[in-house]
Amino acid sequence: MKISLNWLRDYVQLDASVDEICRAITFLGFEVEGVAATGAPPLDHVVVGEILTRAKHPNADKLSVCTVDIGAADGMKTIVCGAHNCDAGRRVLVALPGAVLPGDFQIKQSKIRGQLSDGMMCSPDEIGMGSDHSGLLLLEGNPALGAPASEVLPPGDTVFDLEITPNRPDCQSHLGIARELAAWFGVELRYPEIRFAGAAAESAGNDGVPEGRRDLLDSVQVDASEDCPLYTAHLLTGVKIGPSPAWMRERLAAVGLRPINNVVDVGNYVMLETGQPLHAFDARKLGGKRIVVRRAVDGETITTLDGKPRTLSSRMLVIADASRPVVIAGIMGSGDSGVDDDTTDLVLECAVFNRQSIRATSRKLALGSESSYRFERGVDSHGALEAAWRAIDLLVETAGGRPVGPVFKVGGDVPWEREIVVTHDYITERIGFDIPAEKMRAAFESLELIVTREEPTAHPARGPAWTVRIPSWRDDLDRPIDLVEEVLRLHGTEKIPATVVTSPGLVGDDDPVVLYNRRVTDYLVGHDFHECVNYTLRPAKESAAWAGPAAVAGLSLANPFVEDQSHLRSTLVGGLLESLRLNQSRGVAVSRLCETGRIFIERDGQNFECAAVAFLLAEPVGERAWRLREPADFYTAKHHVAALAAAAGIEFARQPMVAATGAEGWQEGHAAAAGGVAQGWLARCGLLNLGLLRQWGVQGRVYAGQFAILPEQLARGAGRRRFSDFSLFPAALRDLAVVVDAGTPAAEVRKTLARIARDAAGNAFALESLTVFDVYQGEGLPEGKKSLAFALVFRSADRTLTDEEINQTFQKIQDELTRTTAYQIRK
Amino acid sequence: MQDQLSALLSKATVELPAVKTRPEFEAAKARYVGPHGDLTGCMKQMGAVPKEERPAVGRMINETKAALQAQFDAALARIADAELAAQIGPPIDVTLPSPDVGPGTFHPLTLVREEMCRILRKVGFTVADGPEVETEYYCFDALNTPPDHPARDEKDTFYFPASARFGNIAPRNPGERYLLRTHTSSVQIRTMLGGSPPIRIVSPGRVYRRDTTDATHSANFHQLECLYVDRNVTVRDLKALLDYIFASLLGPETRTRFRPHYFGYTEPSFEVDLSARHLPKVKKEWIEIGGCGIVDPTVFEAVGYDPEIWSGYAFGMGLERLAMLLYGIDDIRYFYQNDLHFLRQFAS
Repeated sequence: MKISLNWLRDYVQLDASVDEICRAITFLGFEVEGVAATGAPPLDHVVVGEILTRAKHPNADKLSVCTVDIGAADGMKTIVCGAHNCDAGRRVLVALPGAVLPGDFQIKQSKIRGQLSDGMMCSPDEIGMGSDHSGLLLLEGNPALGAPASEVLPPGDTVFDLEITPNRPDCQSHLGIARELAAWFGVELRYPEIRFAGAAAESAGNDGVPEGRRDLLDSVQVDASEDCPLYTAHLLTGVKIGPSPAWMRERLAAVGLRPINNVVDVGNYVMLETGQPLHAFDARKLGGKRIVVRRAVDGETITTLDGKPRTLSSRMLVIADASRPVVIAGIMGSGDSGVDDDTTDLVLECAVFNRQSIRATSRKLALGSESSYRFERGVDSHGALEAAWRAIDLLVETAGGRPVGPVFKVGGDVPWEREIVVTHDYITERIGFDIPAEKMRAAFESLELIVTREEPTAHPARGPAWTVRIPSWRDDLDRPIDLVEEVLRLHGTEKIPATVVTSPGLVGDDDPVVLYNRRVTDYLVGHDFHECVNYTLRPAKESAAWAGPAAVAGLSLANPFVEDQSHLRSTLVGGLLESLRLNQSRGVAVSRLCETGRIFIERDGQNFECAAVAFLLAEPVGERAWRLREPADFYTAKHHVAALAAAAGIEFARQPMVAATGAEGWQEGHAAAAGGVAQGWLARCGLLNLGLLRQWGVQGRVYAGQFAILPEQLARGAGRRRFSDFSLFPAALRDLAVVVDAGTPAAEVRKTLARIARDAAGNAFALESLTVFDVYQGEGLPEGKKSLAFALVFRSADRTLTDEEINQTFQKIQDELTRTTAYQIRK
Repeated sequence: MQDQLSALLSKATVELPAVKTRPEFEAAKARYVGPHGDLTGCMKQMGAVPKEERPAVGRMINETKAALQAQFDAALARIADAELAAQIGPPIDVTLPSPDVGPGTFHPLTLVREEMCRILRKVGFTVADGPEVETEYYCFDALNTPPDHPARDEKDTFYFPASARFGNIAPRNPGERYLLRTHTSSVQIRTMLGGSPPIRIVSPGRVYRRDTTDATHSANFHQLECLYVDRNVTVRDLKALLDYIFASLLGPETRTRFRPHYFGYTEPSFEVDLSARHLPKVKKEWIEIGGCGIVDPTVFEAVGYDPEIWSGYAFGMGLERLAMLLYGIDDIRYFYQNDLHFLRQFAS
């Protein structure tokens, strides 16, 4: 919102510099987004002169040589001028030698094409008044010769662009800001004088309206009082439409409003002064001499002032005459109901509309105005009538005319009354430092928060209790805590004294998800991964590729902002691939990327928000090294995923990975999965689908892994580990190779072998470990078969095992294997 | 005998250091201590030595044997060293770069977040976390956001269709809409509902606004908020926390200032400015860094805390903005592109 400093000065004496005023506004709680100076800067040695003669320059076609009278003191000057309008008899501004014009333009006595010139006559742009360079600035009204420029130029102004917080609708006006500044600088606030004699004759309602010009307006009817708590209409006859006075036009223009005519300008002026929007009708154009405030009929149309037809709905409030809507209430009038050049009789609307109603309509129609901006944030219904009276004064002053009865007023019957009791002690406890009681009280009163009662409290040392009367425009003040801020604002938040942070011991530990993310990020970065951060919202296509066509609908936003950010991510891998592709496309060789973050996994029509960690192992495309390392493969990915699961307390030894079949995004036969939403965690790893990689323009093979877990599962934590005794006696080792179908998973064979071996050892000793140490397929084995070689380690807790007992057991294992399985022992 | 022994020892002293391989060594060793070796031969002659000379001869033989063994050990050690030397090859060029990838890098947002968490942990704050998909209650209602507040508008906040279901995020009231949280203040509500005062938490996390992506705006970004609830918490305490945070982060010469502002969930509310003369690429004296205030009694009432007993403060800021200030980054989109040119700049 733009606020003019000259305008503010109507209401408050401001001697402070612009910087000081900015600082005051800032620490009162309004952000100063911009400060602009208008008008001429201070100009020394620039005075009024009259051109007495004009002659053509002897040596230049386009120049003139003028004699200029600059008053008795300095007399005549000869000045060479290039302007077309340096006609004799004109009064202009003359920059004399010694003057410094904007842009550090120094004026000296000089010779121009051989002709002496004693100065320069000025165009508007040369003295910093806009960009007009078409000719000399011609002064009107015969200003005294020799008078300094500052006496004849319109005074400059300073315009502040302020951001008003939504809790302060009272400051959406010059008076509101002036009130705050008066409080800050401790000076008086001068309200504009109201002269309207009819103020006293205001009627009490529809009934008993005093007779008057009922031929202008016969009735005001409010059908939707919940959306329009107050509606008033005043009548003026005999107005003459014309331009508003220069001072008013200047002020409106300074704050960015285009002057229209005296009636419209007065409405805007009063709105900018008081914050109360007003609307003037040409009485002739109100069909049936009626005003009806009602909801629109669905499909009803109106062509607003901006020339656009608008279709209304039944939730929108309109001001209508007997037959049609003439204003979208509080937002914008129709083009054909306002004042014209020949308007003589006015109906002046001053009303208050419901904030929500205005906001909803304005948003729905994508139509806003200075008026709707103020109604949306709230207008003080108890100050509305004074704004109407102020407007009538200004209309009479600028457009002639005469206020006549009747005055219509509907609603506005609820009186304003609010008092807050607050103690000095209460405020001190909340701010944490001392402000003397009398200063707090003075702060209230400077803001017109009148202390109606001051009483001692039970502990007199803690200061008094105040009963504070809240003015109607401060609806935001409702509780004692609200007054704390008023005291602080006026005291100055810059003056809050420093102190040290008092800190007790920690009252908890970091959240398990935070601890987990920290741990796995440390792990992955420690393993040379680059940590990435990608957007959570992904394109539908990517989402479908990972979550599958069934789940993708459930991940969709109701109101995406852009098409490529429409769905929640179901994996971190998609984002990582995008990062990979970006680096590849920029020629950056990258092989290891990782990320932690929330993902959303669908199960049985529900999404589950999971904490997740993922990584990519890509071929570093384009990178050449003097020595090649063995590239990452499935088992590298599996190793890292197992580590990420272990960090969450999940042991793959107990929950082995299985081949992922039909898993979206992953290459069949080269990827694995473990867990599931039902278990509370889900792991995947392996080669990414080659077709997808190609489709997304990613080069090379990419292995990936992801571990996701429900936060609540992570919070459960793992129990404390218990020590188990271990044997110091030597182990006995045996190797065993079995030939199985090539498609049989090693884990299945191992499981069978482990069971048989444990049974064979019985209680005598333990099978300590069983690991695959060789996998072979090819020559010497039948087609479709593979050999798995296992190392069996036996150990006893209490003695050294003898060859004999181990051999017996080993034979038993082989016999049992041959007897109960289709596996063949490879000799 | 003595001559014999000295002769064979002299021979070994010449011969063994010349031995280069294990087979040569074994052959040489056999020539002395093998079944037909010279020393073995001497020992076989013991029977012929007169009884009274035997102790002296025996001692001589043992001494020779020990001396020989020392020769063998030395030769073997030399051979083993040579074998190892052959295995490790010639001296390497230590100036060649490692062909291994790396090192890995932490994302700058992680670095800044963790630094903030460490600073706050020193004064008793622990890190809290919460879901990114929220319901209107946790994101707005409990935070004293009026029903018609613009922040709730579909223009500004991402919502899910009424049909959307989130299995591990329970609405508090029936019929509540799911949305993407617009601030991490929802974590404050969850923490207060799930615990009891005193509370001192910092909640960093991802938040979402329906906004155009440009150099300073992003559809998702990260916030970091602090909440402190205890008895007698004052504005002065809040100011002290912010002074402490930014002095820790940016050096003791850093100042903060409060400007009165308005937020629905705090009263009084302030915007926080940071003295910025010493920050890269900042030309202003003060820059806005976050918002804060004293927790509004309405918020305490919403979570069942008695505002007559408990008071508190809250502070929030954008992590990207902080990282941009700290590192002098001028475009928020860099954080989400993960170009290694960018990521590598913040390693260690």
